[in-house]
Amino acid sequence: MKLKSFKILSLGVSLLFFASSCVKMDTYAGPDASLNGNVIEDGSKNNVQTCSGNFSIRLEQLSWDSVPVPQDIPVKSDGTFQNTKLFSGHYRVSIHGGAFWPVAPEEMDISSGSTHDFKLTPYLFVNNFKAELTDSTTLRLTYTLEAPVQGIPKILEITPYLNTTQIVGPNNSIYDYSDLLKVPINKDWSEFNDADKNGELIISNLVPGRIFYVRVGVKFDNNDKSSNLSNVIKITVPGK
Amino acid sequence: MKKRFLNIVAGCLMLASCQKLDIPPVDILTDDQIFGSEAGINAYLAQVYRKLPIEDFTYRPDGRNDGAGNVGFNLHHEWEHFYCEAAADGEMVGPYGGVDIAGGFGYWPYRDIRDVNYFIETLPTYAKNFPPDKVTSLLGEAHFLRAYYYFALAKRYGGIPIVKNVQHYPQQTIEELQVPRNTEEEVWNFIGDDLDTAYQMCAETNVAERANKYAAMALKSRAMVYAGSIARYGSQTFVDGDARSQGLVGISADKAAGFYQKSVDAAKTLEGKYSLYRAKPDKTDNYVGIFLDAKSPENILIRSFYAGDPERNHSFDATYSPNSDMNYMTAGGLSRTYPTLEFVQNFNSFDFVTNADGTPKRFNSQAEMAQGLEPRLRATVYFPGDVLRGVPFDVQAGIYPSFSGTAADEVAKPTGTRSFILSGDHTTLRNGRLIIGKAGMYPPAFGNDNNTRTGFYVRKYIDPTKSISAVNLFTSTTPWIELRYAEVLLNRAEADIELNQTTDALKCINDIRDRAGAPLATAADMTVATYRNERAKELAFENHYWWDIKRWRLADKLLNNTHFHGLMPYYVESEGKYIFLKELELFNRNYYFDKKFYYEQMPGGELATNPNLYPNNPGY
Repeated sequence: MKLKSFKILSLGVSLLFFASSCVKMDTYAGPDASLNGNVIEDGSKNNVQTCSGNFSIRLEQLSWDSVPVPQDIPVKSDGTFQNTKLFSGHYRVSIHGGAFWPVAPEEMDISSGSTHDFKLTPYLFVNNFKAELTDSTTLRLTYTLEAPVQGIPKILEITPYLNTTQIVGPNNSIYDYSDLLKVPINKDWSEFNDADKNGELIISNLVPGRIFYVRVGVKFDNNDKSSNLSNVIKITVPGK
Repeated sequence: MKKRFLNIVAGCLMLASCQKLDIPPVDILTDDQIFGSEAGINAYLAQVYRKLPIEDFTYRPDGRNDGAGNVGFNLHHEWEHFYCEAAADGEMVGPYGGVDIAGGFGYWPYRDIRDVNYFIETLPTYAKNFPPDKVTSLLGEAHFLRAYYYFALAKRYGGIPIVKNVQHYPQQTIEELQVPRNTEEEVWNFIGDDLDTAYQMCAETNVAERANKYAAMALKSRAMVYAGSIARYGSQTFVDGDARSQGLVGISADKAAGFYQKSVDAAKTLEGKYSLYRAKPDKTDNYVGIFLDAKSPENILIRSFYAGDPERNHSFDATYSPNSDMNYMTAGGLSRTYPTLEFVQNFNSFDFVTNADGTPKRFNSQAEMAQGLEPRLRATVYFPGDVLRGVPFDVQAGIYPSFSGTAADEVAKPTGTRSFILSGDHTTLRNGRLIIGKAGMYPPAFGNDNNTRTGFYVRKYIDPTKSISAVNLFTSTTPWIELRYAEVLLNRAEADIELNQTTDALKCINDIRDRAGAPLATAADMTVATYRNERAKELAFENHYWWDIKRWRLADKLLNNTHFHGLMPYYVESEGKYIFLKELELFNRNYYFDKKFYYEQMPGGELATNPNLYPNNPGY
């Protein structure tokens, strides 16, 4: 009996030791900082036309390491970005990818509630985007291309992107209505004539009675073969 | 007094035992044991060869971890050979969802390179145990092995740290051990130099699984043509970044010719020493034999597989033939990877399945379609109606009660409006005839891929002499041919054409074409497109094409949201004939290659331990 209570006591003491060792905490602050902002077209002051997975904001925490491991915040389809689980510190912030004229990286301190907007100039504006049903299941897309600055990378292809949600663009589209219909270009902007700049795309055999979202993208032969995109238009295909 | 005496005795005993504490450890092999005899050397080198990054049957380019310390290469108990490079690069469609292998798996074999460096540094101190020429040839072999490791690194990462000596810790400081990256050009030159050393030092002959001096030159012809194409085509298509501007990836275009010439020179040293396999009169039989006949004069370096324990076998036969859950052509296992129509069309346009008016041509049997195709193609791919192990590749996608109109119009129709009859199992009959064949095909997007998705199966490396009951998982011992003379000829022809030396290229290409049963080429054919096409055909499914389309910087164009096709056989009931329609492969998967994939990213764990590996490769 005495032995048993001693065993229980020693168990209790050792558990106490265990518990006390668990209480030890590190002294680093948690990831309580955040960064959010907009990526704005330099001219129009609207957010850039993009889609999920098109490009990202790259953060490098210089206050942690001189050769920091980069972390990327994807830019959302509305041109905003946000990360609410960052460590406070001094960062280099830059644009990673995308069909835009490069902007110099900026260094900034990030703490709780930090905001930063980027101003970018796209290689091309896809203007005057219109989508009209020419018959009950055929969609005609028209657009105008405009290069705000000359000397852009070679244009690879022009593609209509069609999806059942507003999240539409490269990697977010229905293959048969999108990539299958891409128009290979492989030309420099200087070789574009007026007909090329005022383009037309046809999507046929749409499923009746459905709602689709559609836009046009121009893909470049740049580092990540990224695209400039038009705005998104909602299309209701009449039912049978 | 007595007690004191006992203490003294005990003290003596302790001292005596202390003298024996410094004995050689009995549980590890010492240098004296390893370098004391040829058997010890062979055992040491066996484990180096065992770990060599040979992309054989069992190689998993997605970096499978076998839990026994191996990742990607040389896995223990690996059977899923359909997870191969060819299943991600467009030669075939397979279990991958797309180009799933481009990220690599952080291959970083510096521990294995250390084993080689240790051998190079230690063997000379034991030279007295061996004849001098034996020491020389063993050291040569070690240089070959080191070059092989660096080749596997360079083709993945570009410039990586060149470590030529055994590093020591803690004798060397951490800073000394954090070796920075060399430029990509330096690495390729280092590989070339090591292989030159190997060529000078290695013996003329060696056992089939180990390198002789010609294996070194064969590998050099491969490595130098890689370097040449990276210099030439990598200067045209690239991703900008710090690593590129510092020369860690990319080679300046004016270096291309020098590398190409080194490839030609290396390849020429094998002339007269090796020749293409021509043992059998029938061209198709002969081409099949290349990969199965151990006496092939084409083999330069092979990796053998063995039955029994320890397990050193593979499952290639059981995982590239249809099983269909009914032991149709094998006694176990399943297949999941199938050649694409795009690959098969490298040989021929396959326009002959369609008449001039666009209607599908009618065939009396499945097998009739493939008659008259190039013997090499017939020996590389099993076509519908071909026979293996006594049973036919009974491939039928469905039945048309009747068929009218053109092939193109039929394929363009939405699936729901086509009049064919499909089935999800291999037993459903219609008018006494199976709706789908025993070797395929299921309806589109059916979800099961243990039958062909394209109408084709792999024939290369399949052993036709085994019976169905003998074909199961872990029963194949066919050796993997790592270096064969046909590749050396193709390396040489490619480098020749890039250097505008068309006469020499023509000789090489026509040697290959003659053996393949293909029409011979002319001097006017000696173009970049020709050598690329010839290489894709000759080296199909041998884990070359993936690296080829990368170093030619073609992958981002060929795998640009690409969907691959098959050739689907249908039975037309009203006519009693077969037709073949070119349709999207059954899973209709998307293949996309990002330009940054031309180089893999530096492994994250290594970047963390060695900041001198920065900058990471462009785009990451």
